Amino acid sequence: MSPSVGGVIDDDRLLASATIVTMGWSRAQLQLERRWFRATILAVVVLLLSLPVVRDEDDFPLSTYPMYATARGDEVSLVTAWGRDSNGQRGELGLGIIGSSDDPLIVAGELRSSIRAGEVADRCREIADRASVDSSIVSIEIATERHDVVAHTLSRPSLITRTVHAECPVPENDR
Amino acid sequence: MTVAPPERLAVFRILLGSFVTAYLVIRLPVFIELTSRETNRFDPAGLFRLGDAPLGAGLYLALIGLTIPAGIAFTVGWRFRFTGPTFAVLLLVVTSYRSSWGQLLHFENLMVLHVMVLAPFRAADAWSLDALRGEDRVAGGASPHVRYHFPLQLASVIVVVTYVLAGIAKLRYGGLDWVRGDSLRNHIAYAAARVELLGGNSSPFAAFAVRNAWILPPAAVASIVIELGAPLALISKRTRNAWVALAWLMHAGILALMLIVFPSPLLLIAFAPMFELERLAECLGRARPRLSSQRNSTQQRLRRRRTRSST
Repeated sequence: MSPSVGGVIDDDRLLASATIVTMGWSRAQLQLERRWFRATILAVVVLLLSLPVVRDEDDFPLSTYPMYATARGDEVSLVTAWGRDSNGQRGELGLGIIGSSDDPLIVAGELRSSIRAGEVADRCREIADRASVDSSIVSIEIATERHDVVAHTLSRPSLITRTVHAECPVPENDR
Repeated sequence: MTVAPPERLAVFRILLGSFVTAYLVIRLPVFIELTSRETNRFDPAGLFRLGDAPLGAGLYLALIGLTIPAGIAFTVGWRFRFTGPTFAVLLLVVTSYRSSWGQLLHFENLMVLHVMVLAPFRAADAWSLDALRGEDRVAGGASPHVRYHFPLQLASVIVVVTYVLAGIAKLRYGGLDWVRGDSLRNHIAYAAARVELLGGNSSPFAAFAVRNAWILPPAAVASIVIELGAPLALISKRTRNAWVALAWLMHAGILALMLIVFPSPLLLIAFAPMFELERLAECLGRARPRLSSQRNSTQQRLRRRRTRSST
């Protein structure tokens, strides 16, 4: 047996483990010809996939697939960020500036989690840094807005309530 | 005992490997951006629930750096016995890590599960670098065998269970209101409003669907029937074809109305294990000689024309 020094696994034990794994796997491959073996694997996989449903816990890569599964009303609270110009007019910022991603799911999720974690002021400064490329924007605000989303989609007035979580200036050095 | 030729499993390996590797390359900026996030935003999912701290940036970048070459090795079937399981583990780690920052992207689940299913099996016995080198060839390895059928059966069952669970979720969380009421209209309007409030562009069809909301309750019923009816895909070729067509149309509808992309089903990769994929390759094989003969005749025609004009 080769010597084992300071936590290094000795070669014989490593070789033995590799042999056991290889033999076990070869044996399992041979067992595939048996119907009961295949049925057992299928049953185990179905059980594993169903586990999050039993526990009612969404996770990855096993999930309850809850996306768009809830009954939704037409009034919805959405978190968003706006830019303001020197006249106080609000303007859209775009996904790339709000969240440095082109995916609205990711950007909205990031904003929500920053509010939940009490880090919305930090998030505001991050957005302000990214927005500094646009000279017309002087400040950023992150807000939760409650909208009638059906009215919004039909381009009708939709804003019901508005809560501002953070407001911060855009740094001037890049402008 | 149902058997399949090794080529069927090989085509699925190539399709799935190409898709997942391309996905990782396209989404690379998103994966890399995670390293610049503050650690207190880490919300462990999957494997990372075992610990509660994010990986070091260097380690994570190294893992991403290894995942893409492992995906290429998986696709071309190079030393698959090692690279198959390695790719599966790396993919699970990097996608679980991405999911650990506050947003689960459910369309990633199926592709990761499919790679994990394929990795431990003999998916590179045909049309692979291993097969070219004559490595990993077992006695009778080139002939149809249950070992080539079973991973595809397993992958198909995973697809079916996934859709059934999505259907169950709608009945469980939404109840009959999801089907009868205005839920689908409100979901479409919500998806449009969310994108627009973040400064993006919503679907041009969203307003049309919301304005003509009477079409949506039947669409809601249809989507639940399609999801719960997924086991039909395992009964016969005819029911499989019908179900896959309906499921694809459902995803196309979601894309059109909500701009939500489920790439793997829309590109038919998710449904691929249900089909006799070797026929796809046979069609390509038949097309190649036809193409080359067309090319030859065109070249001959051009040559004749040149000769005529020179004389």
